[in-house]
Amino acid sequence: MKRTKSLAVVAGFAMVTLAACGGDGGGGNAGGNNPSEFINPESEFGKVADAEGPAPEVEGATTGGTITVAIPGDPGPEDLDPANGWSVLGNSIQQALTHRSLVQFRRDQETGAMELVPDLATDLGRPNEDFTEWTFTIKDVNWENGNPITAEEVKYGVERTFDSETFTSGPGQVYSVSNFDCGEGYTGPQDGDCPGITVDGQDITFKMQGPFPDMDFWSTFMAIGPIPLENSEFPAYGRMPLSSGPYKIKEFRVNESLTLEKNPEWDAASDPARHQYADEWVFKFDQDQEKTDQLLLSDSADAQTTVSNGLGATNVAALRDALGDNFIQQTGQCVSYRTPDYTKITDVNIRKAIAWGYDFENIVLAGGNIPGVTRIPASTIMPPGMSGRKEYFPDGEQFTYDPEKAKALLAEAGEEGYKLTFIYDDSDAEAKAAAEQEKKGYENAGFTVEMIPYQEDAYALWDDAESPINAKLNLRSVNWCSDWPSASTMIPPLVQSGQPYNTSYFSETEVDDRIKEIATLPLEDQAPAWGDLDELIGTKYFPMIPTAYRNDLFGAGSKIGGFTGDAAMSAIYYKDLFVIQ
Amino acid sequence: MSTPTMGSETLGHLSDEADPDDAVAKTPVSGKSPLAIAAGRLRRDKVAMACLTIVLFFVLIAIFAGQLASLFNVTTQPGNPSQQLDFINDGMPLKGPPHNGFDPEHPFGIAPKTAKDNLASWLYGARTSMLIATSATVVASIVGVVLGLVAGFVGGAVDKVISFITDLFLTLPFLLMALVIAPILNERFALTPDRYQTMQVVSLIGILAAFGWMGIARLVRGEVLSLREREFILSARVIGMPTSRIMVKELLPNLVAPIVVAVSLMLPAFIAAEAGLAFLGVGITQGESWGQTILLASAYFELYPLYLWEPLLGIVVLVLALNLLGDAIRDAVDPKTRR
Repeated sequence: MKRTKSLAVVAGFAMVTLAACGGDGGGGNAGGNNPSEFINPESEFGKVADAEGPAPEVEGATTGGTITVAIPGDPGPEDLDPANGWSVLGNSIQQALTHRSLVQFRRDQETGAMELVPDLATDLGRPNEDFTEWTFTIKDVNWENGNPITAEEVKYGVERTFDSETFTSGPGQVYSVSNFDCGEGYTGPQDGDCPGITVDGQDITFKMQGPFPDMDFWSTFMAIGPIPLENSEFPAYGRMPLSSGPYKIKEFRVNESLTLEKNPEWDAASDPARHQYADEWVFKFDQDQEKTDQLLLSDSADAQTTVSNGLGATNVAALRDALGDNFIQQTGQCVSYRTPDYTKITDVNIRKAIAWGYDFENIVLAGGNIPGVTRIPASTIMPPGMSGRKEYFPDGEQFTYDPEKAKALLAEAGEEGYKLTFIYDDSDAEAKAAAEQEKKGYENAGFTVEMIPYQEDAYALWDDAESPINAKLNLRSVNWCSDWPSASTMIPPLVQSGQPYNTSYFSETEVDDRIKEIATLPLEDQAPAWGDLDELIGTKYFPMIPTAYRNDLFGAGSKIGGFTGDAAMSAIYYKDLFVIQ
Repeated sequence: MSTPTMGSETLGHLSDEADPDDAVAKTPVSGKSPLAIAAGRLRRDKVAMACLTIVLFFVLIAIFAGQLASLFNVTTQPGNPSQQLDFINDGMPLKGPPHNGFDPEHPFGIAPKTAKDNLASWLYGARTSMLIATSATVVASIVGVVLGLVAGFVGGAVDKVISFITDLFLTLPFLLMALVIAPILNERFALTPDRYQTMQVVSLIGILAAFGWMGIARLVRGEVLSLREREFILSARVIGMPTSRIMVKELLPNLVAPIVVAVSLMLPAFIAAEAGLAFLGVGITQGESWGQTILLASAYFELYPLYLWEPLLGIVVLVLALNLLGDAIRDAVDPKTRR
């Protein structure tokens, strides 16, 4: 799952007092409020197949009020179409509040751990013995307009994601297309029915091309959810999609705001995780970091019911003191990569030279993050805590900033003064400062650097083969979080040929074949096989430079209750939030 | 020496006659041009002289920014945040302000986050400010004077057209246009980042000038309207002097005083406008600019006030000095309005 904010080393997080943490003894859970060191994510999530609604009440929860969520430095999703939802921010909001899919995550209030529970389906799916067929039964629940949600609509919703022209960079293009048995070249409902998805009353059965044991995890995505058969054409539907969750969309202004109000058709008894505490939600995108921090610090009437999706580096020490329990450090399986263009920078020594010339500490600091706390140096494609991960170093040892080594590698490649071209956002002070540090680091390491100022969505640019700016670049980046705790959601989207987030344009048949092969292996052999593939890619091809493993910092005002982090999404856990009355 | 509060001076002495207060009043009358008289008055204005010194000081800083920076051994290159900033506490510099005393290596301190030297930013920021304001003033005055002269002297349809254009430009909101043009330029020059920086400066000068010439054009037109009926112009016409020569040789010298006044008041306005646009993020984003530093520093106003004060004082002192100097010049050339 992408991080929308791609250009910066991702703006917005923190600088914190290391010395001041001595007194804090407790808080051993994943979402502790003691940001002194990097927290490794969980590798497994529990599954509770028989969980039933209504969801357990949050202690002290009261109803009413409006929750405002300020989102600094992130323009938010371009549309709300369930087939397109593949960003941490957009999905964490929509899946928690407006869009139900077959399965969902719930946070165990005792342990803080995430667990898989049923959503629209009555259970977590019933696979056959070899995981090639999954059957779900859809509950009798309604859309916001009162119409019943049918299995046909789920089928239509899934088929729709096969349309590679409309939903180019949707998650269905990876997981549905490569797993569901819809026949070669199937591109959605305009090609007729997908023979691999059959409906019988409220039962829906998915036939797979091969074993797909992660179908329950994949079913948490909106791309495995219902879409009404009528009036659901893209892009109009993406502006005002029908809601099935506890809240419905009142108003959506792209890059500005999203307002949600209560959906009276939502049935609490059918939903084991969501609540309907607040009357209204207002999400404000692209907020000023400094203003958001100052608002939270002010503890004014507005601030008390405000949640911040990212805390600024300058004020973290003060925010931590002021917010108390409503200051959380959230882990997740998230990694930042620098991706040299595999078709242009063909010499692996140059790619290694870039890695040695990446001035980690200075870039992280200038970008408003804390080295060793919210960002730690990375070496493998798979993040820590992911099962099957093998600790290895692409160049024998951990990459640190070593300009001499980079120069030597460049000399070996016979490319002294090699020119790197990348984009940066010159309108965002932190992104710009980080880019300047990076430039300085590369220049000291014997590169020449050309930075192109670019202020729009970087992923859209990198995915645009026509763009003359994109054609000029030879260094891109990607920030990626696992879609569920399996390397099959990290490695294929990032290195398989032709994937939208494969921003290095890496393409090797050996790797592509191996990715297909691993899916057919026995379940227990898959995780180690991914670890081996990770090592093979890193040591033999080294197409992408893992620059940092990530943690995030979130905050909320004093009248917000139930404020916790979502370890599955690496985001705020919106389902439990309420306004203390 | 005290001067009469309501002396003959208030009536104006824009003539060859010597000032009665002048120390050389008793010496034989010498030929002095009106401007020389004005300059004499200016020289005796202490405030004006002080302001002129300040302005010259900034001009020298702007011209020799590079040399001064290397004299202090500072550059505008980003520093090493991991070594120079205390990121485990509040991200402030380990040496120098705000928490420690003076740091001789960085006399103005270093910026948080980037560890860039503040003195270098300030020096180059002064250069940007002066360069943009001066160029915009020159362009705006040339455009304004030429259009004003032509409109006033030629009259008729030409006057109507030029006056209409002047009014049209007066109605266009300057800030809005600047906000609209910035992203267009970004799009246009994104592919040539080396030219982008120059184009930002050039376009900013263009925008400032395009919305700054109307005042001068109207002023000059008004003056020309009254001057062109005077005898010396009529006689020049009678002896068959070409129009262009009348404008340049006869009219223009008589307009020097109002033009000088207008220019001296335009300069500080442009400096403030440049900083304002940079603060809004649509001015100079490449290279150094005081407005940009103020924008960055406003986040640290509690923790690191010096970082904010440096560019702010630069702008306030320079704009104030230029304004006072402009007022003094106006008083000097037009004694009737003397305070």
